[in-house]
Amino acid sequence: VKQIAIYGKGGIGKSSTASNMAAACADEGYKVTIIGCDPKSDSSITLLRGQRIPTVMELLQQGVDITELDVVFEGYKGVQCVEVGGPEPGIGCAGRGIIVAIKMLQKISSVMADSDLVIYDVPGDIVCGGFAAPIRKGLVKETYVLTSGEYMPLFAANNICKGFARLGTDLHGVICNSRNAQNEEDIVAAFAKELGSEMITFIPRDPIVQTCERAGFSVIEKEPDSEIAKVYRKLARTVMERDTACEPRPLTDKRLRELTE
Amino acid sequence: VLNVSDNQEEIVLSPVLKPKEPMIMHPRPSSIVAALYTLRDLSVDVVILHGPPGCSFKHARLLEEDGLRVVTTALDEAGFVFGGHDKLVYVLNKVIEMFNPRSIGIVGTCASMIIGEELHEAVLEVNPDVPVIEVEVHAGYPNNTKGVIITLESALAAGILSEQEFQRQKVLLQEATEVEKRHGAASKEYLEPSRGDMKYTVAKRIIQLLKDGKKGITILNAKKETGYMFADINAAVNFAAEQIGSGSELVNMANLDKELGLKRVRTHALNIASDLEDMGVTVHEIIGGLDEYPVVGDTVSKLISDKYPDFDFAVITGVPHAIPMDCLKGMEIISVTNGPRQVLPLKEMGHDHVIVEIDLHPKTLGVSHIVESEFGATLREMVKEETA
Repeated sequence: VKQIAIYGKGGIGKSSTASNMAAACADEGYKVTIIGCDPKSDSSITLLRGQRIPTVMELLQQGVDITELDVVFEGYKGVQCVEVGGPEPGIGCAGRGIIVAIKMLQKISSVMADSDLVIYDVPGDIVCGGFAAPIRKGLVKETYVLTSGEYMPLFAANNICKGFARLGTDLHGVICNSRNAQNEEDIVAAFAKELGSEMITFIPRDPIVQTCERAGFSVIEKEPDSEIAKVYRKLARTVMERDTACEPRPLTDKRLRELTE
Repeated sequence: VLNVSDNQEEIVLSPVLKPKEPMIMHPRPSSIVAALYTLRDLSVDVVILHGPPGCSFKHARLLEEDGLRVVTTALDEAGFVFGGHDKLVYVLNKVIEMFNPRSIGIVGTCASMIIGEELHEAVLEVNPDVPVIEVEVHAGYPNNTKGVIITLESALAAGILSEQEFQRQKVLLQEATEVEKRHGAASKEYLEPSRGDMKYTVAKRIIQLLKDGKKGITILNAKKETGYMFADINAAVNFAAEQIGSGSELVNMANLDKELGLKRVRTHALNIASDLEDMGVTVHEIIGGLDEYPVVGDTVSKLISDKYPDFDFAVITGVPHAIPMDCLKGMEIISVTNGPRQVLPLKEMGHDHVIVEIDLHPKTLGVSHIVESEFGATLREMVKEETA
């Protein structure tokens, strides 16, 4: 089983990338599971035609004796979808939610073990211990960082790499999700290289992604013949085949600023 | 598993709701403390509490009387915010250096578990050459037996507990949880603590029953080391019968099987049984091991209906609410508990007299002989006056 997580600054496109990768892998016949760890619980929505599924934490709160059937839902081409869920912004502790939900899933569900690819879609920065739970509990074996060529997303990506270094987790690659910044491909490629890794894919900015998401679909499902779909398919193949990793060497803030000047 | 791809309709869920547990407002035993006591029973040398300095203070302190060393990583605000990994590594190295332990336990707390501390990472970093039992526990479980089960699972993983004993303990713990829900401190939303009936009054009643030549059963159904004090009461009733000498028949039952349970628990059974023998008390029926207090009900029922159906009164000490009422029908019941919140449920079950030995447990830590109880002392004193 290939177990991966995609990290990156909030709003940078982790869920879009994760769900399109999941769909692309499913198209190629792989058994895929996607585990949304964001309390917003929208990681799997485009694999489920815009529908929201009950989350592990909300069922736990209701006192449901949770079985696999209650929390694992089949989406596009058999992709198994799970949402951890969590509290409304500003209350409770979303990080603890991830710890609890992941322990529970390990106990009650076999989908993670039965898949070829498990994707953990983890929220923004790793701001507390809970957000690192998938890694620390040994569930994530490969980590990818998603960023654009702008300073703030790169800063966040760099910080996340500091977290990986702290946790002793290798970085398997950097993915650029373009926001049409100047020299974006070069900047992200240089950033990845200086981390000791490489940029494995450059995803150009394409309004089709937004259009499909609004309609509740992945690009792979709704616009399978588009150019951007081809990029996601290529990314999916790259990730499935990839077995090189590095211990990331985070950049100094000064160097990050230089890169983006 | 619903296939959404073939079905555009809304997902309809029919989740199975757990049977509603009553919300309990009075303070409940802590799973963290339960983990500490379990590590002691497993004869672990040192326990590190990974959390705030004051967490589980009272019990940590008491357990030191019982030979278990307890230390804390003393997490403070900075620890909550920045994580406590380094402190745990420091303390782990330190206890190895200071105490040269043969085994170590690391126990989580609410604070460290909420912030997602990984106990195992510190163990990997320090890499001690003695077994370490990592217990990822907090006090947020409604039943403290959960803390015991988590600890036993870790002990099993660390190879210091056999699968067979683990399975046996698990059954006992599930039953203990049920006993508390049925007639124990988990049976009501709120239970008022009570000191129970006056010891003087109840002692007087026992003396009267013995004088009248009534036939009695004493049942020691104690939880582990609490037996060191509860057994004193059974012994005192025997002393009273002997002194009064009206020929009252007295039958003693006790959960003092020397072959059952963890080594430590078996040692307690051995110590108590040999003290009782020295005090001239014959245990007629062994009803189980000292950790079998939740499951002795059937054995006691069968014994009474087969051999002692026409007895007049029963003195039950330890966990009296685990003995089914059916088998005690027609008997006057005197029960002794150490839980002030156990009085009301016992009265509701139909026990005629309920006595509380307050703060019994702390007095039974670090001992290897029977300890005098307040009720036992009262009864003996009154009998002496009576027969003088």
